[in-house]
Amino acid sequence: MGKIYGGHLAAKYLKEIQNVKMVFTLSGGHIENILDGLNKYGIRTIDVRHEQAAAMMAHAWSIYKNEPGVCLVTAGPGFTNALTGIVNAYLDSAPLVVLCGRHPIRDDLTGALQEMNQIDMVKPVTKWCATCYDIKRIPEYLSLAFKQATSGRPGPVFLELPPDILFIQTDEENVALPPKRDHKTALCPDPVAISEAVKIIDSAKQPLFIGGSGVGFSGCKKELEAFIEKTGMPFALLNNGRGTLPDNHPLSISDGGFTGITTGLPQADLVVLAGIRLNWVMQGTKLFPQAKVVRIDIAEHEIDRNRATDLGLVGDCKQVFGELTQKVKKNDHSQWLNTLQNAYKAFMTTELEKRTTPSDPIHPLRLVDRIMEVFGTDAFYVADGGDTCYWGLAGFQSAHPSGVQITAGSLLGCLGTGIPFALAAKLAHPDKPVIVLNGDGSFGFNSMEFDTAVRHNIPIICVVNNDCAWGMIKHSQEMSLGPDRCTCSELGLRRYEKMVEGLGGHGEYVTQDQEIVPALQRAVASGKPSCINVVTDHTVTSPATVIFYQNLSNF
Amino acid sequence: MKLSFLLFFLAQALKIASVTNSKFKKYIANASVKILIKTEAGPPARLFVFDKGKFHSVSGNTNDFDVALVWKDPNTAFSVMTSKSGDASFKAAAQGKLKVIGMSLYAQWFEDAIKLAL
Repeated sequence: MGKIYGGHLAAKYLKEIQNVKMVFTLSGGHIENILDGLNKYGIRTIDVRHEQAAAMMAHAWSIYKNEPGVCLVTAGPGFTNALTGIVNAYLDSAPLVVLCGRHPIRDDLTGALQEMNQIDMVKPVTKWCATCYDIKRIPEYLSLAFKQATSGRPGPVFLELPPDILFIQTDEENVALPPKRDHKTALCPDPVAISEAVKIIDSAKQPLFIGGSGVGFSGCKKELEAFIEKTGMPFALLNNGRGTLPDNHPLSISDGGFTGITTGLPQADLVVLAGIRLNWVMQGTKLFPQAKVVRIDIAEHEIDRNRATDLGLVGDCKQVFGELTQKVKKNDHSQWLNTLQNAYKAFMTTELEKRTTPSDPIHPLRLVDRIMEVFGTDAFYVADGGDTCYWGLAGFQSAHPSGVQITAGSLLGCLGTGIPFALAAKLAHPDKPVIVLNGDGSFGFNSMEFDTAVRHNIPIICVVNNDCAWGMIKHSQEMSLGPDRCTCSELGLRRYEKMVEGLGGHGEYVTQDQEIVPALQRAVASGKPSCINVVTDHTVTSPATVIFYQNLSNF
Repeated sequence: MKLSFLLFFLAQALKIASVTNSKFKKYIANASVKILIKTEAGPPARLFVFDKGKFHSVSGNTNDFDVALVWKDPNTAFSVMTSKSGDASFKAAAQGKLKVIGMSLYAQWFEDAIKLAL
């Protein structure tokens, strides 16, 4: 063994211990030595056009691969650009590992290039953050970062690596690489609590199960399936839990989208919530004031948050489902499921009609239906926008874990997440079609990542639901201010597909219903990253806009 | 006829609440919503119009609504709307006796408004 650079040592640890296959990055002087190390150790780098996208792609990678996603950004603006993606991962509890450059320790307080206190800025939005000051301790710090990102409730971590330790060498034999611990300390509730939960579940007449990201991260497909099928409970899976069981499972109510959930919750006598927070997306407690609630969460403080729970089970979903399934009685709630499905379909009369009827101008639900017609459930779908998130949630169905991701519909409400998520989905599942439905507003944030898609040959299909506006804002302004006083919410008709063509991708412009399917087929045939710019009905408002408006007007 | 009277009285109750009931007034203060109640055959029908704290109602069918609650027949509408059971509308929808046309979210909003008013 000879000498090794600090940057190479970091790459060596990522490769040999964590088996990292892909790092999302944008180059910079402060991190040059790590980039060189990634190259040396054969870790694929996906270099983007804005660090926000690198953080979002690594976040998405963690969801599509169920392993930590790694992003590497340079100091100063590289760091600040990545912040939005880090916050998004923080609010989504995603195991994102951010490696970041820094101005030299040697130059502290001298006015060095990109000198700033990054740690204090990032601390409130990460699960763990640190600066490494010693080349020999780089592997140890990295080990801590990965452990922190994945233990308990996952979350983003941030490790600052100054050039003083990256650009120097040390004796390789003097540096130990801490082993990766594969054991998982799975938390399981007290058996008494399990027995109490079993009593509640067994006695329910109209139960409903809602699973969230905690279900997805737990990797509990087998255990969830056994639990759901034994209890006979209708279920909906959201966020990163979506697709743990396929959307077409006979007990799933995902074909009802948002309406299925909001129709079912007020009628349920028991709501079992697993790995999901009762935040504003779930409308807090409004939807089921009368129901008994059993909550399963790995974070104890979530158990009674926003709603007193009848029984809390603190633990990992996989463990809890395993315990519950052994003890619950076999049950059949098919009559309740049938009633619920009939009811939400009656509430969705217009939505169902819009899906199946050609429209001019094109209704967004019809657009989603046409996309499903071409790709079916053997595909990955992402929706990004305001109203666009609702249309995607209402219409997309997938047979795959995390096969439908409503990225801008999470807690940060972060527009621009769609294209980075779609790129990561395609990298994680190169043999499957990946379609992102983007609002025209949200398309603008990270559309330069089509350059990334072209350079790295990542043939995603982006369908722009183009209503020529920040639709959710415009429609809520129409409600609050009046249609004549909408401000800063119009965008105009833009030929986004030509921009993508200019970057080397495939473009299609669609204004008629019958053009949608052929345009999608040509996009697939092109084999290129594609943008299908579809002009849709700008007058259509989604229920999500109404909820958004009500939330901000009811003071 | 029973349903016509019921819709008329409901409109009167909402009108009074929009002036005298502080909780109801707050609830409707920012809402601009048109809710139509009718039967599959059309009549009887009545439109309930909420416009930023003001309320009025018009008898008759129209296409100008945000959400329409379409009942199979007047008797069903009357019995469900006067039911004390919290899940009467849900059951009616499940049994094909009620369809919601337009933005169904407003139907729930309207049901909550009625609870506040009565």
